[in-house]
Amino acid sequence: MLITCPYCGPRDLAEFSYQGDANRPRPDQHDTDQARWNAYVYDRSNPAGPHREYWQHAGGCRKHLLIVRSTLTHAIESVAFAGAQGATPRPARRSPKSRTKTGPAKGKKP
Amino acid sequence: MVEPVSPLGAAWKPGAYPNTAGETGLVLSETRPGSIVQAAAWPGREKTLIDAIKSVTGLALADGAGAGQVDGAKAAFGFAPGKFLAIDQKEGLAAALGAVIDVDTGTVTDLSHGRTALRLAGPKADWVLAKFFALDFSQTTFPLGAGRATSHHDIFAQIQRSGAEQFDLYVFRSFARAFWTALCHASEETGYTVG
Amino acid sequence: MSPRRSTEGGRIDRGRTIRFSFDGKSYHGHPGDTLASALMANGMRLFGRSFKYHRPRGLLAAGVDEPNALVTVLKGTVREPNIAATQIEIHEGLTVESQNRFPSLDVDAGAVNQLAGGLLSAGFYYKTFMGPVVGPLRGTRFWMACEHFIRRAAGLGRAGRDADPDRYERMNAFCDVLVTGAGPAGLMAAKVAAEAGKRVILADLEPVPGGSAKWSGDTIDGLPAAAWAQRTIEALGAMDTVRLLPRTTVWGYYDGNTLAALERVTDHKPAPDKGEPRHRHWTIRAGAVVLATGAFERPLVFPGNDRPGVMLADAAVRLLREYGVVAGSRVALFANNDDAYRAAAALAEAGATIATIVDMRDTVSSAARALAERAGAEILAGHAVSGTKGGKALREIAVQRLREGEITGQPRRIAVDCLLMSGGWSPAIHLASQAGTAPRWDEALQAFLPPAPTQNWIGAGAFAGHFATAAALADGLAAGAKVAGGKPPRKSALPRVETLELDIAPAPVFAIRPSGKAGKAFVDFQHDVTAEDVRQAHREGFVSVEHLKRYTTLGMATDQGKTSNVPGLAIMAEARGITVPEVGTTRFRPPFTPVSLGALAAERYGELRPDRLTPMHDWHVESGATMYAAGLWYRPMVYGGRGETVEQAYVREAAATRAGVGIVDVSTLGKIMVQGPDAADFLDRVYTNKFSTLPVMKARYGLMLREDGLAYDDGTTWRLSQTDFLMTTTTANAGKVMQQLEYYLDIVWPDLKVALTSVSDEWAGAAIAGPHSRDVLAACVAGTAVDNDTLPFMGIVRGEIDGVPVMICRLSFSGERAYEVYCGAGHGLHVWEALMEAGKPFAIVPYGLEALGTLRIEKGHVTGAEIDGRTTGRDLYLDWMLSKKKPFAGSMMMDREGLCDDDRIRLVGIVALDDRPLGGGAHIVEHNDPAEIRDSIGHVTAGCYSPALGKYIALALVKGGKTRHGTRAFVSDPLRKRFGPVEIVSHHFYDPEGSRMHG
Repeated sequence: MLITCPYCGPRDLAEFSYQGDANRPRPDQHDTDQARWNAYVYDRSNPAGPHREYWQHAGGCRKHLLIVRSTLTHAIESVAFAGAQGATPRPARRSPKSRTKTGPAKGKKP
Repeated sequence: MVEPVSPLGAAWKPGAYPNTAGETGLVLSETRPGSIVQAAAWPGREKTLIDAIKSVTGLALADGAGAGQVDGAKAAFGFAPGKFLAIDQKEGLAAALGAVIDVDTGTVTDLSHGRTALRLAGPKADWVLAKFFALDFSQTTFPLGAGRATSHHDIFAQIQRSGAEQFDLYVFRSFARAFWTALCHASEETGYTVG
Repeated sequence: MSPRRSTEGGRIDRGRTIRFSFDGKSYHGHPGDTLASALMANGMRLFGRSFKYHRPRGLLAAGVDEPNALVTVLKGTVREPNIAATQIEIHEGLTVESQNRFPSLDVDAGAVNQLAGGLLSAGFYYKTFMGPVVGPLRGTRFWMACEHFIRRAAGLGRAGRDADPDRYERMNAFCDVLVTGAGPAGLMAAKVAAEAGKRVILADLEPVPGGSAKWSGDTIDGLPAAAWAQRTIEALGAMDTVRLLPRTTVWGYYDGNTLAALERVTDHKPAPDKGEPRHRHWTIRAGAVVLATGAFERPLVFPGNDRPGVMLADAAVRLLREYGVVAGSRVALFANNDDAYRAAAALAEAGATIATIVDMRDTVSSAARALAERAGAEILAGHAVSGTKGGKALREIAVQRLREGEITGQPRRIAVDCLLMSGGWSPAIHLASQAGTAPRWDEALQAFLPPAPTQNWIGAGAFAGHFATAAALADGLAAGAKVAGGKPPRKSALPRVETLELDIAPAPVFAIRPSGKAGKAFVDFQHDVTAEDVRQAHREGFVSVEHLKRYTTLGMATDQGKTSNVPGLAIMAEARGITVPEVGTTRFRPPFTPVSLGALAAERYGELRPDRLTPMHDWHVESGATMYAAGLWYRPMVYGGRGETVEQAYVREAAATRAGVGIVDVSTLGKIMVQGPDAADFLDRVYTNKFSTLPVMKARYGLMLREDGLAYDDGTTWRLSQTDFLMTTTTANAGKVMQQLEYYLDIVWPDLKVALTSVSDEWAGAAIAGPHSRDVLAACVAGTAVDNDTLPFMGIVRGEIDGVPVMICRLSFSGERAYEVYCGAGHGLHVWEALMEAGKPFAIVPYGLEALGTLRIEKGHVTGAEIDGRTTGRDLYLDWMLSKKKPFAGSMMMDREGLCDDDRIRLVGIVALDDRPLGGGAHIVEHNDPAEIRDSIGHVTAGCYSPALGKYIALALVKGGKTRHGTRAFVSDPLRKRFGPVEIVSHHFYDPEGSRMHG
């Protein structure tokens, strides 16, 4: 499975680590509502279908990504940087610097 | 200045190790630069940081993912949004960059001791690297000067193409000996030279 | 008569001879031979004994689909079982033995299982291993005794017990187009894509690419098909953009067009070259995939269809045209389609007599009749083979009239030594099935065709149900053009094909229903599943395809039902009175063929994890340290080597440190640079205590909580400038803490200007502790004073040691006056040696993890043993660190009712009153009954012998914590057979006022 990191391009799943459900906004640090904190820490929706989730490109640029992935097919609908600079999900596509562009292969035989 | 000790220890064994056919497909070496420095820009300040790197090293980096340059004893490349690794064979790069990158632009972190620079050079360099990393090492997708951050299981690596058939790897020092040993092992098939 | 080698033909080199051994006997073959073809050429027909019934078995197929001829390859004492003889290339010194037979292949005691056939039928395991529910053996363990023998008698080859000495490797590859299968379709697709400039990988599981071109007998572009294939391969091989991977099976199709392939690099050689792996595991990320994986011929199901000498029609053609082996001299053909008639013609041409052609269909096309004529064979249309005779080799077949699937009339007996059968073809849709949804049933072909793609692949050739060479080439051309993204190809680009036009569509009959008592008719040859087993599954209610599979084990052997899938479903469909697509099919799962575990482990074999070494590692080893793996790190446990026990060594080291001075390598601590204008603010948010108030060049001990309010990690953080902090974490949590901090900055507080960098490896760290620690520093540090005023508790100074810049922080884990000396990792050894030299007059001792642990237990400092993910800051009496002035990560969750309960297990010290060790994990109980394993009130987290107290002590988490100080209890450790009285005390065993470390 490949995940297209907005910075690094398509990379192997092994470089990423799952960082949890992205449908749970963290209450403000000063928020004293116990129920909201409880929901943040424990409540998960576990949908069958598209799911917003965080992944960290831990074995690459180390940025956290917001990924919409189908829990039924693993198909990734969109990848974007998590946080302010990439709040709106962008459609997943082959990166501009696609690793699978045409070009001569080197070192053909071992 | 006291010469830093290589982390490779007894695993560094200079010499030629040809394969069955008598060939040596690549040269493995430790380049031991005096400076390995990370510079990071706050969002929106990337251009200023790139200019600062240029003013100190003379290396003009394009503003794009993984863009980099190599120039003899100096090299630099981006490996993450707003983050760059700059290398100089001489010591003192961290201080020089620190002097031109202020706290409003970004940060400078000296990693001269913390990362070990290993070089693979030769026609089989990409073949051997492909045994470790899920990266496309072909020249069209990984051009000269470009950098990539990637990992081989627990071992994190930053890789820059520093020649048509040459790659420089920056790995965490504590893993360097284990990784070096694995590199040598993986190079037995093509034959290799250490030195 | 036996099979024999023809005088010409095939791709074997008759001019050279290779010697190999099978079951201890020496045989000869030629380069190009497989083990199967070489043994056949030697007149062998018996290859193995079947899985359950130990029936003699010969070769059924000629390729990767072979279910019967499984053998064990021996290399020294290493055994590799269950390899199909058709997949083994012979080489000098190859040593092979047959399987599942005792004492020998010819005389097999297990063959008595044939008599017990009725007992071993479908569902046998489920029924037997439940144990008898009635009868005299009810309630006994009799079945367990049986199981031992049954499992031994039934089975495949035996794995060896020795470690596999071979080398395996992994390889990553990227390409625009991966073509799997180098038959006419695959070759054509690869050619077109490569000529359009695409980067192409062409993988084929055979040693020689070409697929059916190697044996079809067709002519392509005026050349024999095999020569055309060879020419095309050579042209592809000459291109820089093409990688050819022969002997490579693409076995898995995963998400993101990622495919797994196994290359058998050296199995065909007597010995690998230097550094060559035996198998290479390829992970291929392909822009597009062309699936040209061909098709498998299906057997027909009739009594005795497993007798050695009965084989697939195409297998005989392959044996003849690839290896020059004539499978028999008096041959019959039994088919339900026209295409199989080629085999009769080919064998007749090679000199075999075609005794008869038995066709299930009532009418046969004129093209097929012409072939039969060429073969000189009569056709028995509307007939079926209803039985076979012969012990370990076929002697005779019985042929009867077939009316609507039922056998009628008197059998006609025909003497033959070889029976070719063909039930039509099943496309090898395995990879597509893995990558897609349910396959589609094609009524005309009586076969499952590939599902609609859900990933970027295109099918071509027999894989897509287009079996003829011309159709395959056309498919390949179209597929190649499509993946190349160019214009649709011109017709003229298509090679000319000369072939016999034959209808490949089979009659929809795969099994005949024998009348009366007949022999076993096999569906799944490898797992010995018979037609009757399938019908029995139906009778017993296991009618869904998933139940059928599991109840009968149909398709669950190492060949994963390559030949048995459709016949099995057809029998179930007939039994249920529904169609095959209504029965459905199971989805194929990876791997397509068995994959060596070595190849999956590859470089992770043996050395499972890379060693992480500190800059002083070699010094420790040379100084006699026993190294201990702490996560990936190697750390000195004790510096023994004096004939001491571990306990004697750490007691000596700890005592010497308290009495004088000791030094320990702390380079493994996690170190994170936290930099930026908002760094202090950030630390206030993640630590329970305040860091914004920390002066520059001072350090502070910090505690982090998880979001749920439980304790997470602790360490000291040093403020190096207004905006630069050096955070230390525990060795074990370095990575996790870094990730958590990055999570906060990326997701929760993206507006904070803070940069994080792992500098764990940048700094070497040595802690020196003990009353003389300051004297040692004073003797070697230049550029700064180290007295109490310049360097007070938690102060930081910069200086030099023997020409190396160092940073020294005065902090103490041991409770002694202590300092951590940090320098660039490349200078770590130099500084360490300088400290040892400066410490000589004070008798400095290096100490390891055990002594480090002892010192901290005596002092009552917590580590991961206490911060175990279940304890809170209060449980550990770190309340004083929980700021009330600011919120911090976990602050809202830590006050939940259950986390504030007074009766929680909380940190205490315990002292053994019987002078025996206290082990981590031992329970604390209040009752004095060693036999009673219950009523635990807590557990020991870490114990040691304390030289300072002269007692065995431990830290423990005990219900109520402090309230129990001064009370007695018992340690209960049944696993280590330890029970004894303890006293519960404060965890501050030693110098509770801290006068030693502050002094």
